[in-house]
Formats: sequence, structure tokens, C-alpha cells
Amino acid sequence: MGRSYFVDEAVGEYLSGLQAAPGSCVTGLLAGQSSPQRDFVVLAVQTPHRESEGQLKAPKGVSPLDDIDVEWVTEHAKQVSRMLPGGLCVLGLFLVTPPELSKDAQNGLKRLIFAVEKYIIKGRLWELSEEDVTDRVTLHICSKTKKLLCKTFDVKDPKSSAKPADWKYQTGISSSWPMLTCSVEVDLQIPVTGSSSDNTDKCMKDGLRRWAKQIEAAYCLINGRQALDDSELISGQKKNPKTTNRQTLPARIFVSDEQSELGERSSALVQVCSGSMRVRGVVHCRAYIHNNKPKARHAAQAIKRDIINTVCSRVEMFLEDLCINEGSQKGLCSGQQALPRRVFAPMPISGLSVCDYMFPDESTADVAERLKEMLDCETPEEDIDTSLENNQCVALAAAIALLATATSLLYFS
Amino acid sequence: TVCDFIFRLKGILEFACQLDNPNGVQSQSTISKSFQDLRSKVTSKNIVFTVCNSPVLIWPNTGFQSSVESLTEASACGDILQWIESDDGGSKKSSKKKDKKKSGPTVVNMKLLFEVTEPAGNTAPSLIRVSTQQHCVKMPLPLDCALSVTTDERLETVCTGLVEALNKQLADMEEVVLQYRKGSSFLVPQPFHFQLPEPAGLITVVYPAGVPDSQLQAVREDLHRKFELPCDRPYLRRANAFHFPDAAYKDGYLRNPHIHLNPPNIEDAKLYLVQGVYSYHHYMQDHVDDNGWGCAYRSLQTICSWFQQQGYVETAVPTHTQIQQALVDVGDKEPRFVGSRQWIGSIEVQAVLNQLLGVTSKIMFVSQGSELATKGRELANHFQTEGTPVMIGGGVLAHTILGVVWSENTGQIRFLILDPHYTGGEDLQTITDKGWCGWKGPEFWDQNAYYNLCLPQRPKTI
Repeated sequence: MGRSYFVDEAVGEYLSGLQAAPGSCVTGLLAGQSSPQRDFVVLAVQTPHRESEGQLKAPKGVSPLDDIDVEWVTEHAKQVSRMLPGGLCVLGLFLVTPPELSKDAQNGLKRLIFAVEKYIIKGRLWELSEEDVTDRVTLHICSKTKKLLCKTFDVKDPKSSAKPADWKYQTGISSSWPMLTCSVEVDLQIPVTGSSSDNTDKCMKDGLRRWAKQIEAAYCLINGRQALDDSELISGQKKNPKTTNRQTLPARIFVSDEQSELGERSSALVQVCSGSMRVRGVVHCRAYIHNNKPKARHAAQAIKRDIINTVCSRVEMFLEDLCINEGSQKGLCSGQQALPRRVFAPMPISGLSVCDYMFPDESTADVAERLKEMLDCETPEEDIDTSLENNQCVALAAAIALLATATSLLYFS
Repeated sequence: TVCDFIFRLKGILEFACQLDNPNGVQSQSTISKSFQDLRSKVTSKNIVFTVCNSPVLIWPNTGFQSSVESLTEASACGDILQWIESDDGGSKKSSKKKDKKKSGPTVVNMKLLFEVTEPAGNTAPSLIRVSTQQHCVKMPLPLDCALSVTTDERLETVCTGLVEALNKQLADMEEVVLQYRKGSSFLVPQPFHFQLPEPAGLITVVYPAGVPDSQLQAVREDLHRKFELPCDRPYLRRANAFHFPDAAYKDGYLRNPHIHLNPPNIEDAKLYLVQGVYSYHHYMQDHVDDNGWGCAYRSLQTICSWFQQQGYVETAVPTHTQIQQALVDVGDKEPRFVGSRQWIGSIEVQAVLNQLLGVTSKIMFVSQGSELATKGRELANHFQTEGTPVMIGGGVLAHTILGVVWSENTGQIRFLILDPHYTGGEDLQTITDKGWCGWKGPEFWDQNAYYNLCLPQRPKTI
């Protein structure tokens, strides 16, 4: 029994509209949601063109399949993952090839799908549970006949072989998917031992991991009801598949400081630190859940993973940025800096939203540019919602202004 | 006042602080500031109580809100029971036999949680980096508050009371942490609950982890004064901690099986029972096959368990081998006694209690079993003043006497007997139904044999 992929018709339109230069291949990502019974694909994005610093790369191998820039495909997949709210993820890849390369396409896809999965999960702070679907879809499209060949690989098992899967088009797949939202207050105090920048990264990772475990273990209410068990998320409602209203379900999260590693201690844990890092502020979180009898605890899992991902992503992005700016001095600087803040934009097609992160010195124009590059879609700047997380600079600026006033008063008195 | 419920709230709060110089004068105020922050946390709107095994969530600091519509600030705390699912077949609530007694107040377990959603502000996160050498201290504080209440007490009052208790416990913990701190070495403050005689009732004391009871004498003396407790018996050692009715004992031994029995109804007679808690030790336990010879050893183990659980000793209940070795050590037996299956009597029991536990005992001699019926006054006095289990040996048997029902006027007497000859498992039903723990009349004793009774005396200590 193979898996069944229910695909939004608009995705089909996108795929048909792809232009491949004669004899060459086009790669791209497929994104959506997996559930134990079936999978849903709501987005397809071709791999963006890589600016290769002016030089034309000489073809490496005999066939265009060998020219596929695996590193770039995986990097794209990671960037797109960061842009997907909870419940959605990169489900697989598509590959468009000319007819003569069709029979080698499967190998190419297999290599790519394992590489993508490996790269995406690096640095992720939560583990897949037993219930998570580990099948990923590979879609091969012949550029001449437009014939589709859909297969899945189990990324848990590197030796697994391709299994057949169904690819079915439907309209408005995600139009009634409920959206879970919450704003989460984060205040993490992370001690830093040692002074090299590697240490800083490791300490940050450890501190975030501990916090992530708290979130995973947290008690969750969705729409006022406990989200523990196998009860249905939305029960007692008349099923009306024609409705286009998307329900917004508020989530509430309750944590305890229980840490199993601290366990039955009789004395405090004391570390000599060279400093500390504090992550403090409010993050806005979203997750979508399919509406094919979803269970409450899957919804809870989706929103919790979004909470963890969003904090992790922006810290990662900030530290990457820091590496470029501060280099080896990274571990030694003090001060308060704003982490990139989250903004939301409508996803092409499905009515779901995607997100991006804006550094303090950026504007919605930068976001729009990134959305174009990474998701291959035009987004009018006014559609980018920056209101969900307030700008830290307002608070910082006020503090600086106050300091400046005080200083000048002192100077003139 | 009879309390129907105990609301117990547990949770872990992480204590964290950064000390520039652990031995400097600033460190105390830094530590106090961290505790102050924790006290603010428990009085904030973000704290939530969840009732275990139920969908009930309560926000105690927002003018009482609950996740369940029918529970409001006007609700009686007993209303919460209908929402709690019992763990197994609900056999806790129904008593199978008519003469089974209710086993005490109902415990409602709650957990302390903090809401991280619905924040006050909306400002996106910043990263604040500090680069000064510091000692980072982290310690999980095991908060545990308990409140005894009657059914009609309002739920809102209970929750407010629990918040107050949390605050007080944090203050107590701060005191203990500061008192026992040495530089950057901090001891975890641990709460213990004690059921004191009225009016004090259920109280909580915070002790530093790792500091043995023997070093906390002065603390106990203060508390004995404060609560007007007798100064000759322990109430506040860790072993005296209140055992919550719903908690199982990890070692698997039954505690006080006699409480499930109704005493015989004798006209004009009074009940004199063992005080406190003992474990039922009997044949075949601990993988030791002592069937036919070990009865006095088991009675001795029951007595040792009493001294341990009342806080007089910290040593574990001795094994048959340890008992035998003790007798060799005092010169009462030859070395080859160890590992043998020889019986012991009251005199040996007295010797071992002295050697291993430092406990003295009185010996009562009865020249024939029929005479035991006349010992009502002595036994009544014993249970009133000492309240320890009594080992009785005679004929070819040893037993434990846990109490008497005795009439001063008519002389009628019944004995509450715990029988160490039982070879089955720890099945309370069987033990009480078949009389392995049960009330017996004077005819129970061998009328012609002579008996020795060992009556252990409480050491005068707190």
C-alpha cells in the first residue's frame, strides 16, 4: 500500500508552467503536511538560480543530472523550511528532466532527498516521534510528455528503495485548515563557559535544547480544551466541506521547570562562566493542521514545534550574521541586540501564510525580495504583516534617548 | 475538626543567580533578589494549578478562573472530585466489607505550572550578552504545599491559601539556603510535611538536603517550643513526615493493617492501641524461608520498623543474619549461631533492640497463659505511655501485640494480635479476613504455657 498525496491543483499548474532549457533539468521542493493516513501538498517551488560569482561552472559529469548543485538544493530547502509555519514542512522534491534522462532520474532524486533531509534536520531542537511520517515524496516529470512518476523514500532507512505513491489533484486542499496561533514569552538565561565563539554556539545550543524540552513537555490548551489525547481537535461540529472560513484556534502553553537531568540533586549546580546570554522577548507562532479528523495532540505538537523552530531559527540566523561581522571576537562582546523579528505573508495559492525574519536594518522590500527568490512568488509589500511582533528598536531607541537626555542634562548642569 | 480533603500542590521552580564573587558581601543580596523574583512569579497572573488526572486548570491569581465552567469562585472544594478520574477500577472509593473503615482524608493532587502564552507585551526578542566572569548557580526548588480543608471550604479560598503557602515556602527556602550556604556551595532546601496534634495540624518544615537529622537538633528544639510539642518524643524528624493516604510505600510492606479492623464492642471497655506506624513483617518475606523458626525474628523486625518510622533510628530493619550477629556481638550466643535456624525469645529481642537500636525494653513474665487476661492494666498503660508494639513469646510461638480492649471494671479483655506466621503475600484483604491481623480473646493463649513479653520503651529524645 503506497502513500496518497493530495495535491492542490494550483501546484499542478505551477509544475506545468515550468520552463526547462532544452536538455537540462529543473529541481524544486514540494511542501505540505503529512498525516498517518494521507499527505497533502500545498506548495511547489523550483530551486532558485544560483549566482555563481561570474564564472560559468564547467559541466562536471557526463549528464545534466550530475550538474545538479546538491548543496544549493539543500540550502534552498533549509531556507524554505524556515519560512514554513508549524505543521508544514518540506515533504519532498520534484525533478523535471528531458525524456532521455528519465531512467536515471530516480537515482538522482534518491540522492537529493536524503541529502535534503539530512541538512534540514541539522540543528533542529526536537526529535521526530514514532508517529511522524518519515516517507518523503519524489516526483519526476518528463519535460516532453509531462508524465508524472511519483514515488516515496523512507528517509529513516538509507537502504530503502522507492515505493509507488498516488498523486491526486484537488482544489482548495487547505482552504479550511484551522490555524493555531499564540504569542509566547521567552526569557532564557544561558551561561557561557569558555570564551571562544565555538563555546558560545555550543552553550546557546545547550540552553535552547533545555528550553525546547520544556516546551515539548508543556501542557497545552487548544481553543480552551486540553490537547493531550486522541480526542478530535474539532468535535461536535457539522462538517461542511464547502465552507471557506478558516478557523483560528488560540493555543495556550503551560510549562514547569522540571528538568530530569537536575533530578534528585542535593546541591546546586554551579558553573564558572565567562559570561551569559539572555534571550528575552515575545515570539508570535502559527501552525496549520489538516482537517481530515485531526487529533488534538498532533495539533499541539505542531504549534509547539513552531515555537521551538522560530526561536531557534532567529538565534541561528543572528549567530551566523555575527560570525560575519564580529568574527573571532564574537564571544567577547557585551550588549543588547535585537534578534530578527518574524513577519508573515500570504502563501502563493493556498491561503496559508509563510513567514520570514527581518533584521533591524531591513524593510519589507527586503522581505519581498527574499520571498520572490526563495518561494518564487511576487508579494506586494503591503501584504507583508509586520504587526505581530513589535520592533525592539522602539524600546531600545527610547532607552537610548533617555540616556542621551540624562547625559546632556548632566553635562549642562 | 475533621478534615475531609488535603489539597497538595507540587512543582519545581528553578532557582538561578549569577554571583560575581561567591564569598563577597554582595552575594547574599543577589541571592535574596533571586528569591524575590521567584515570589513575584508565584503571585503573577501566569501561574496555573492543574488538578492531576482531570481537565481542570485554575488560574488562582486572576480572581479565580478555571478551565471548567461549572467550577467558579463560589464552588465548594468538594465539587472538584467529579472531574478527577481515579487511576484504576475505582476500588479506592468503594469499601468492600461493612467493617472496613475509611482510610482518612481524600488527597487532591495539583501541579504548579506557568503560562508562557498571553504575554503582557509584544516586543520581539533581543539577545543580551554579558561578559563578566561569574559563578552561575542553578538549583531546582522542589515546592510542595499542602492544605487540610473541609468539604464546604470554597475552592477559591483553597487556591488563595495555596498561593500564600507557596510564598511562605519560598521565604523558608531562602532562609535555609542562606543559612547553609558556604561560598558557592548551596544545599537544596527540601520541604517535609508533618501532621501535628491540633491545633497545629498539617505543617511544613524546610530542611537542607544532605544534613542529617542528628545535626538539626537545634532546629527541632525551636519548633517543638513553637508548636508546644512534648520534648521527649520525635515529631519532626524526616522519618516522621506525613504519609499521604494515596501514596504507596515503595518497599512493599503493609503499614498498620490493623486500622482496617473494627475493635470488638465490649461494654464499658476502652481501646488502647499502638501509636504511629509499623510495617507488617512475617514468614517468607525478603526471600528468606524462615517458616517454622523465624516468628520471633519477624516480630522483632516489626518492632524495629516502628522505631525507624517514628524517627528514633535511621538504620534499616535488620535481617535475620544481622539479628543473629548482634546476639553474638553481645556475647549472648556463640558464633555458629549466625546462619542457624534457632529460635529466639523475648530476652534475645530485648538484647538486640538494645544492641542495634539503643532501645531499652521491659520484660513481663507470665507463669501461665491464663494469667494474661489479668494483665490488662499493664498493657493498657504500656500502650498509653509508650505505644510501641509488644513481642510475646511462649509455648512454641511468638506474636506481636498491637493493642488491647480492656474494661477496668469487668476485667474483660481482647488482644489485637499481629501474627508473624503468615506465609502469603502482602494482601490486606486476606490478612484481615483470615485474622493474621485480628482481635483475639484470652483463649488465644496456651493456658498452661508460660510467656515472656518484651515491652520496648521510647528513648526520650526529639
